[in-house]
Amino acid sequence: MNIMGQLALIFGLSLVGEGVAALLPVSFPASVISMVLLMVLLLSGVVKDRQIKTVSNFLVANMAFFFIPSFVGTIEHVDLLKSQVLPLLVIVGLTTPVIYLITGWTVQLLMLRRRRKEGAK
Amino acid sequence: MIEAMLTSPFFGLALSIAAWCGGVWLQKKTKWVLCNPLLIASLVIIAILAVFRIPLADYNQGGDIIKLMLGPVTAVLALNIYDERKVLKEYFFPVLAGCLVGSAASLASVLLLCRVFNLDEMLTASLLPKSVTTAIAVGIAESQGGTAGIAAAAVVLAGVVGAVFAPLFAKWFRVTDPVAQGLATGACSHALGTTKAMEMGELQGAMSSIAICVCGIFTSIIAMFF
Repeated sequence: MNIMGQLALIFGLSLVGEGVAALLPVSFPASVISMVLLMVLLLSGVVKDRQIKTVSNFLVANMAFFFIPSFVGTIEHVDLLKSQVLPLLVIVGLTTPVIYLITGWTVQLLMLRRRRKEGAK
Repeated sequence: MIEAMLTSPFFGLALSIAAWCGGVWLQKKTKWVLCNPLLIASLVIIAILAVFRIPLADYNQGGDIIKLMLGPVTAVLALNIYDERKVLKEYFFPVLAGCLVGSAASLASVLLLCRVFNLDEMLTASLLPKSVTTAIAVGIAESQGGTAGIAAAAVVLAGVVGAVFAPLFAKWFRVTDPVAQGLATGACSHALGTTKAMEMGELQGAMSSIAICVCGIFTSIIAMFF
């Protein structure tokens, strides 16, 4: 599909995501809804990956660019951030290894059990 | 004339893209990790706005158009899952369990520490999604009453910690299974960690890339209940 067609498909998906998010009784990010939707469409074969490939590759390759306005926006909260810089660093520094440890061991135990089962067969 | 130019959306668009190109060029030239194009571009723009006393609202005329694209950027992350569908099928249950536990651990540990430090609601909501990829984190933070900028900063910080320490975490915590290493890296440090996971091995990279999407979904779902 040409770039216009790909854009129409991707923007259309984002629009549907916004619509579904508005219907939900709780707050849920519309972007995640459109991601799940696209995942279902791709895995079921309704949408082929080549139908979105050119635009997707461009967006993913330049992904960090789209975060610039959010980063620039932090200047509005600079005083708040300055006053809380230590807690912020501690929170990020402490939780990251904790998440690694918990996730890693959950999966590792599952994989061990699975290998033992396969070995028993 | 200057006034008309500054309030035009093209001001924010042109400035952002030019600053980004400059950042990319600088990174290629120096090859320093610290010369991250996002960081450089943002700092340059903040400096320009400050020096010329340009209100943030003027920049946001164009900036908001760029922010709007975060929706489509998140949507196409679905390709991560699609490209790795074979690996995902093979390790379906470990992936689901690992990402669910990882997302829950992330939200619970961040919430607990935010309460310990007595942070306000806005800051807490911005920090909650710090382990998922930026595009998704911004969506979660905003739907919970946080701000995109702080969320993005926390995400990048977590990503840097993960990218630098992932191989050490694996050694310290004795996580030797490649599937476990990949999922754990993706769960705690999203896309930045994934780059590291890819260096550790193909399976680690694939798992980490899957974890970005799956953890994003689980984190959004669990965060609904906060």
